[in-house]
Amino acid sequence: MANFKIKKGFDVKVVGKPSANIEEYASQQLFTVYPSEFEGLKLRLKVKAGDTVKRGDVLFENKKNEKMVFRSPCAGTVKAINLGARRFPVEIQIEKDPQSQDRVTFETYTRDSVGQLSREQVADHLLNTGVWPLIKQRPFNKMADPDTAPKAVFINACNSAPFQADFSVVLKGDEEAFQTGINALAKLTEGKVHLCKSAGSDVPDFKNAESHTFAGKHPSGNTSVHINRISPILPHDTVYTVSAQDVILIGKTLLTGELPKTKIIALAGPAVKEEFRKYYKVEIAASLESLLNKAIEGDEVRLINGNILWGDKLKADTCVPFYGSEIFALEEDRSRHLMGWTMPGLFQYSAHRVNVSSFFGFSHDWKLGTSLHGSHRAMVVTGWLDKFQPLNIMTDFLMRAALAHDTDEMIQLGILETDPEDFALASFVDPHKTDICGIIKRGLEEIEEEGI
Amino acid sequence: MKALFDFMDKNIAPLFEKGGKFERLYPLWEAGDTFNRTPGDVTPSAPHVRDSIDQKRLMIFVIYALIPCILFGIWNAGNQFNLANGIEATFGADMARGALMVLPIIFVSYAVGGIWEVLFAVIRRHEINEGFLVTGMLFPLTLAPTIPLWQVAVGISFGIVIGKEIFGGVGYNILNPALTARAFLFFAYPAQISGDKVWVGSLAESPSIVNSILGHSGEYVDGVTQATPLAVAAAAKGSGMAAVDALNHAGYTIQNLTVGNIPGSIGSTSAIAVLIGMGFLILTGIASWRVMLSGILGCGLMGLLFNVLPLDNEFAALPYYYHIAMGGFLFGIVFMATDPVSASATNTGKFIYGFLIGALTVLIRVANPAYPEGAMLAILFMNVMAPLVDHFVVQGHIKKRTAYARALNNA
Repeated sequence: MANFKIKKGFDVKVVGKPSANIEEYASQQLFTVYPSEFEGLKLRLKVKAGDTVKRGDVLFENKKNEKMVFRSPCAGTVKAINLGARRFPVEIQIEKDPQSQDRVTFETYTRDSVGQLSREQVADHLLNTGVWPLIKQRPFNKMADPDTAPKAVFINACNSAPFQADFSVVLKGDEEAFQTGINALAKLTEGKVHLCKSAGSDVPDFKNAESHTFAGKHPSGNTSVHINRISPILPHDTVYTVSAQDVILIGKTLLTGELPKTKIIALAGPAVKEEFRKYYKVEIAASLESLLNKAIEGDEVRLINGNILWGDKLKADTCVPFYGSEIFALEEDRSRHLMGWTMPGLFQYSAHRVNVSSFFGFSHDWKLGTSLHGSHRAMVVTGWLDKFQPLNIMTDFLMRAALAHDTDEMIQLGILETDPEDFALASFVDPHKTDICGIIKRGLEEIEEEGI
Repeated sequence: MKALFDFMDKNIAPLFEKGGKFERLYPLWEAGDTFNRTPGDVTPSAPHVRDSIDQKRLMIFVIYALIPCILFGIWNAGNQFNLANGIEATFGADMARGALMVLPIIFVSYAVGGIWEVLFAVIRRHEINEGFLVTGMLFPLTLAPTIPLWQVAVGISFGIVIGKEIFGGVGYNILNPALTARAFLFFAYPAQISGDKVWVGSLAESPSIVNSILGHSGEYVDGVTQATPLAVAAAAKGSGMAAVDALNHAGYTIQNLTVGNIPGSIGSTSAIAVLIGMGFLILTGIASWRVMLSGILGCGLMGLLFNVLPLDNEFAALPYYYHIAMGGFLFGIVFMATDPVSASATNTGKFIYGFLIGALTVLIRVANPAYPEGAMLAILFMNVMAPLVDHFVVQGHIKKRTAYARALNNA
């Protein structure tokens, strides 16, 4: 149990905060599973278009580890399998049969009987039910490898990024499932399970997990910060990381013996109509089209699975993604401002002291868009990127090492402790508009290929 | 306005874009277009919002910080000229004479530097970087007001091509390009940038067209000799007269060293003008306060150290505040040493780098028999040493990181 105060950080003030009530979002016909969400996965398809599937039937499996299977979120017919580059199936669309109650069932456990199992039994069960991919591992932030025992498990229940769902809202009524999930995770590691909460949140403490609180501005809620403060990653270490809501899904799977049906997502951002900014209880992988059609306003809107600082773009007809618990919408801002380089900047948002607005009238929420506010230039200024970096990282030098493909230097400078998301704020404040997250990502990929 | 921009987007922009007639000149178009309006690009990937600052704003703020120095330099150049040549030194006359002395230098620096910059951008196919706006303004401000214009052109060419572009352009250079240009002139044509004859100028030597524009004629003075404070102080070595007295005797008190109405390089005589710029840079956070603060500290402490050392050197006994106010030191530490590309990149390194610049400046001034001014050489030397300083800081950082991680893991 420790309370950490993170000193460095920056909260992007953006309009579109969701209200704290949860609405049921009615069931849909179309479901889509996106295999591309599972980074680095080589898969073998088990179904073809036109097949009838039950809820929980295997859709595809991991070529490298056939125990790892991915199951259907609903009962119905496989409508289409859309291939992307190099014939990789990027979408598996399933038409739901509303009458069908067909489902695959698994063994059920209680909160305490999970504790009687061995590590292998827990891992096999989670692999077999298809919820294992919810567990990620560091370094490299990829799907956890069931065969390596991690030195610790980190559960992230923080909400420091703009409009991450407050976990105490999501947790209500599912405490039992959460505890079961923790018990299962505790079996996977020889070390501890660390439950990291935002300071002041109403999430209670749980058994078998060590609770920590993190106070401070974003990125105090990033998993890398938690790991760095509690149990830093040395070369050849492995830790598992899970987001708190996914622990509930794991727990529910163990308790009910079938795939969890729903999860809670927040819909937020400046391009969402006021009355639609809230939490929704949605079916996993169900189409969001009808909700988004009603909720989004604006000519050209970017949808993000995540928040404005970190997340992937989503298509307008997207279904609920496997990972993530927030959909953020903001306008594509292609506006051009006359002589922007010398205007006083009354209505320009900046974390630096270069606008009139930096000194006056900065504290309200801003209606931000996706403008790059400049164009790419050679790197000139130094030391700005670490302005809001709570990790002990020299971003300038780490980036140079990554650009120079110097893997040893990267490891020495601590790249293994990071994930591209930790450099989102650095990219945000960067005046040269360098793709820092991309550079770090490629650096990590190189190290992964070469081996540590 | 909007109609004009729409016309440009529709009819002119395609000429410069891929497949257009002038596709090779795209950097030139991009520079002009984004000068008029911020680009309309959107973020390609996360983070999906970006700060509103860009390189243009960053560099233009340095130019804004230089405005007090530029204006004071113009007035001072004209004022010194008029006083020495027996012309009535009204404010208007000073500004007019000063403008005709200084503006051509700035113009040549920008024009020639700009041509090089565009040439390299077009051949190498990278963007025109706004950094050259700062280089092209800093360089003229370090020159004597009477410098021949062809030397300005040669100097800025050397600074940009040898000082910057052969390393790969902006962001890769190891030396400050503006200072490289000045150092080149200093060693190649010492007669026009050092000594006693170049700081004021005389009617006889100034172009007749300028004289006729301003209506100046009459008694032509042949060459005005006016030693700079640094030269006076250096001359005091071994003379038996205290350097302070020698300075005051020559009319250099700490007051006018601070105000700056004395002969010297165009932009760097006035401590007050530089301090206004420094305040602006620190307020906006554009330049590193670490370099400036530690530089001034280093200069002052080294001055104090020389005061207490038992040396047979009158210059060494000069009070530390004279060192800070004299010559190009303040201008150098605020505008030259803080060039982020050639300075140290680590925060700790910036303290060391700045401190050593200050200390070396005083060391060169006091102990070196050949050059009265040490700031230029100190900054260039530390530019070369900055990566070494960074290397040790980074090694220390790596050691600390590993120790921290191991300690927590074993706890």
